[in-house]
Amino acid sequence: MSLFRIHLPILDEIKAKGLKPALRDKADEIVTRITAGLNTAEVRGVLRNDPPGRPNPRLKPHDEGFWLHMRPTYYHNLLDGLYPTFRLGWLSTFFFAFELLTGVFLMVYYTPSPLVAYENMLNLLSNVPFGRLMRDMHKLGAELMVIVVALHMLRTFVTGSYKKPRQFTWATGVVLLGVTLILSFSGYLLPWDQLSLWAVTIGASMVEAAPPEMVGRTLNLLVRGAPEIGANGLLRFYLLHVIGLPLVGVVALGVHYYKVIHHGHSLPPGAEEVGVDTAKRVPMEKRTYFMPDILTRELFYVSALIALLIGATAFFYHAPLEPHADTLVTPLHTTAPWYFLWVQGMLKLGDKVLWGLIVPGVLTGMLLVLPYFEVGPSRRYGDRRVGLSVAAVAVCAMAILSYMGTPHYGVSTSADQEAIATLLPQTHPGPLRLAAWGELTVGSYEASAWASAPTASLQELLQTFNEDIQRVESPERTAVEGIMVIEDWQPGLKKITLRVLWTATATGQSGEYSQTAYLHRDSNYGQGE
Amino acid sequence: MSEGEAQAAAGVPARLPLTRREFLYYLWGASMALFMAEAGGAIVWFALPLFREGEFGGVFSVPVSEVPAPDTGPKEFPEGRFWLVNIGQQTVADARQPGDYPLEAGVRAIYKVCTHLGCLYRWVPVNDRFECPCHGSKFLKTGTRIDGPARRNLDTFIVEAVDAAGQVVARTEPTMGSQEGSPVVLGPAVVSLRVDTGRRIQGAPNSRPGGGR
Amino acid sequence: MKWRILLGTLAIVAVAGLLGMIALRERDRMAGFTQAYHARQIEVGAALFENNCRTCHGPQGKGIDGVAPAINAADLFNGQRLAAIGYIGTVEDYVRGVVAAGRPIPSAGTNYPNRMPTWSQRYGGPLREDQVDSLAAFIMNWEEQATGGAVSTPAAPGEVVGTDIALTLPEGNADSGQALAETLGCGGCHLQSTVGPAWQAEGTQPGIGGRAADRFAQPDYTGQATTADQYLFESIVSPGAYMVPGFGQGLMPGNYGGRLSKQDLADLIAYLLSLR
Repeated sequence: MSLFRIHLPILDEIKAKGLKPALRDKADEIVTRITAGLNTAEVRGVLRNDPPGRPNPRLKPHDEGFWLHMRPTYYHNLLDGLYPTFRLGWLSTFFFAFELLTGVFLMVYYTPSPLVAYENMLNLLSNVPFGRLMRDMHKLGAELMVIVVALHMLRTFVTGSYKKPRQFTWATGVVLLGVTLILSFSGYLLPWDQLSLWAVTIGASMVEAAPPEMVGRTLNLLVRGAPEIGANGLLRFYLLHVIGLPLVGVVALGVHYYKVIHHGHSLPPGAEEVGVDTAKRVPMEKRTYFMPDILTRELFYVSALIALLIGATAFFYHAPLEPHADTLVTPLHTTAPWYFLWVQGMLKLGDKVLWGLIVPGVLTGMLLVLPYFEVGPSRRYGDRRVGLSVAAVAVCAMAILSYMGTPHYGVSTSADQEAIATLLPQTHPGPLRLAAWGELTVGSYEASAWASAPTASLQELLQTFNEDIQRVESPERTAVEGIMVIEDWQPGLKKITLRVLWTATATGQSGEYSQTAYLHRDSNYGQGE
Repeated sequence: MSEGEAQAAAGVPARLPLTRREFLYYLWGASMALFMAEAGGAIVWFALPLFREGEFGGVFSVPVSEVPAPDTGPKEFPEGRFWLVNIGQQTVADARQPGDYPLEAGVRAIYKVCTHLGCLYRWVPVNDRFECPCHGSKFLKTGTRIDGPARRNLDTFIVEAVDAAGQVVARTEPTMGSQEGSPVVLGPAVVSLRVDTGRRIQGAPNSRPGGGR
Repeated sequence: MKWRILLGTLAIVAVAGLLGMIALRERDRMAGFTQAYHARQIEVGAALFENNCRTCHGPQGKGIDGVAPAINAADLFNGQRLAAIGYIGTVEDYVRGVVAAGRPIPSAGTNYPNRMPTWSQRYGGPLREDQVDSLAAFIMNWEEQATGGAVSTPAAPGEVVGTDIALTLPEGNADSGQALAETLGCGGCHLQSTVGPAWQAEGTQPGIGGRAADRFAQPDYTGQATTADQYLFESIVSPGAYMVPGFGQGLMPGNYGGRLSKQDLADLIAYLLSLR
């Protein structure tokens, strides 16, 4: 029972035009609203790649819609493919969005407290369907994003696209580079395993080293929330990672992309006259319109990337999970994450303030102001030999410094510890833990007698051990021996002791270094986690 | 697919013929839509909490030795949030039981939460019934409401009786008529009961004063 | 241009299939991971036990008389100890609770001179919660061995070998001796020479069977043995008679004379003599 008639406009239309035409028109109207300006026939025209009518209706979604309002309506046909930009800027944005999405899902199962963070990781991997996939995708996306962002910066430098009028765009890009690196670094801490804790402690110590002492100490307390990284530090890093840096990133990305569109994508250097920027004046015959060409390409890239990312994490790439963070034990050969290895390499050169803070700071500053002092008018490669050489040298230097940052260079303890660390490393499983458990026959074995070991795995391990202990031999130490003892310790558990024995030549005293590991039949190392 | 059908499928004015390109785009779109649906399903499965055994929401294993004897008082399992009651012949013949909810002998796992507004009711041995301290709802040991503002009998969990080999020999089934969970009989082969706190059967409607439909 | 549409569709279909395949294997993968991490927990627990618990509870958790009870014992896992004190939780809960909180007062019927300290950080100890859990996992892993494996029943009082090393022993069986040594957990101290002398040959040093022959002839020897057999006999039942240089006093339990039968000791000596 109603006191008034409900007025449904659709019923009027059905009466006026008939059912089918009215429904068709309604559908048309809905499609136009969803696409922000294209009716069904125009959508079909896009899909058929028909020439657009005049005025071009395909510009309306860019004018009237939100999602495309900043995207250009057309690209210069020299820029519509992979070359010369390799769409690295687009790729960077893709990864940002990808990380946002996978990150939010991971947040469902994570609490940033040292008491439960590691257990949350174990839960994610053992009790959440697709938990491992989500985590692996997030980590892979993070590593790829750092690479892509760096490559994007390199490309922009090489094509001279930072020059007038795009200097500020470059500056916001450097900000985004910083945001990316710190996002990756702050996320590194969250699993709260040994790798996380110590890699981030090293990095945070750089902040502490900032002179003057007062500033350094204050910054350290701000970043870590305590003199050492603990509950406060984890929470602050988490907040930085999930809201602080994403907010800064979104704002910086907005400004950066807006400036890119405002000035127009710069053309390949050879396509313009020196000193002239024709990016905004693209003649009609050189235009590639966003719809359908660029849109199709981007959809294709998205499809291919999703397939690549899920394929890689399903078959090859797995984020490792080291043992629980232990604030009392630093593993031998702890390193920074790979994108900070260059800093770790520099730190091996000398004073930590100079090499860890001042030099990276100066380098970042130089990057930031580069377009304001590198004001040569030409973007052509032939006219920028100095700049391009500097870029090439910088890339090589980064590679060399990164190598220097690895444990292979300049960080060794005594040869006996190194020998044992080759078989039983403290930062990853290593050959002994990866060996087949059943082939570790109980007994006592000498490294020099490796050929007579009962199983192939033992022969390999003992041979490696034997080679490494040769380095213990020195003028001060002779009669070097290596022994591996394997015992049955518990049902399914073996105890393995590695010992290096030597005699000091001067005093005749014997010395030894040994380390013990326990291996369970089911612990299944080498699955990537 | 004929042109006409294709157009009808695409729901568009019958003016432009469907080209191969356009069709391929629709195929691609359909595959993306299906993938989104699959990904949505994966996300839901990802986000649905899984309860381990012994966690509320999961399954609790109760060995037969811990099940109360028939016609004795109920036994509480706080972590599982349920009472185990063993309905013997005396309880079946209890005069207070409303006729609308006939009983069989067996074991029931009753949820500790009152069906009125969520308080935890208590067992009062002197009165041989459950009584809720918040608004005075009263229930018999069998879970049937006999007084108070609650509007349905107590909820129960699905119970499976398991033998030594791990096979399920008896399970709570919805009773004819009331749709309440039937009690599980403890046969000789039964070694333990598995109470699934993730699957709850609502109590039957019971709003008449003194109990009844 | 059309190839992009086709490849794009192919990519989406392929990834949808891949996602389906992953979905089918998820349950097994999760179960496998749970098992693998439980195993790794046991490994961590083993190292923690060696560093923190072995000194009182003995190698292999067999207990040290007058210091701490055996943990690797059937009466813990079959519930006897819990029933004796009226504990209503599980054995694992009991173990975890004792490790975490220690023993402020001695258990009924025991009189150990030192109280078990607290271990969990929660109660002022040094270990994190996950480390306490790892220890519990390691200890629970003894269940199979404690309840099912070979049991060493202490010899009846009239049959123990005593401490007279001149006693004639029956013929010993080296294999039985080896099995007995494993049950008694001697390897905890004697397979690598950090606590007690290693039994196995190590590098240039011969095994204990070879060393025994020379040991009692050394000038610093303070015991009574005159043969290799007697030397080994003495090392087991009266370890205080002579300490091999470099090893600590009072670590070897001194009551084997009152626990082993003559046959047990003979078997052990036969086994040790075979380790050259």
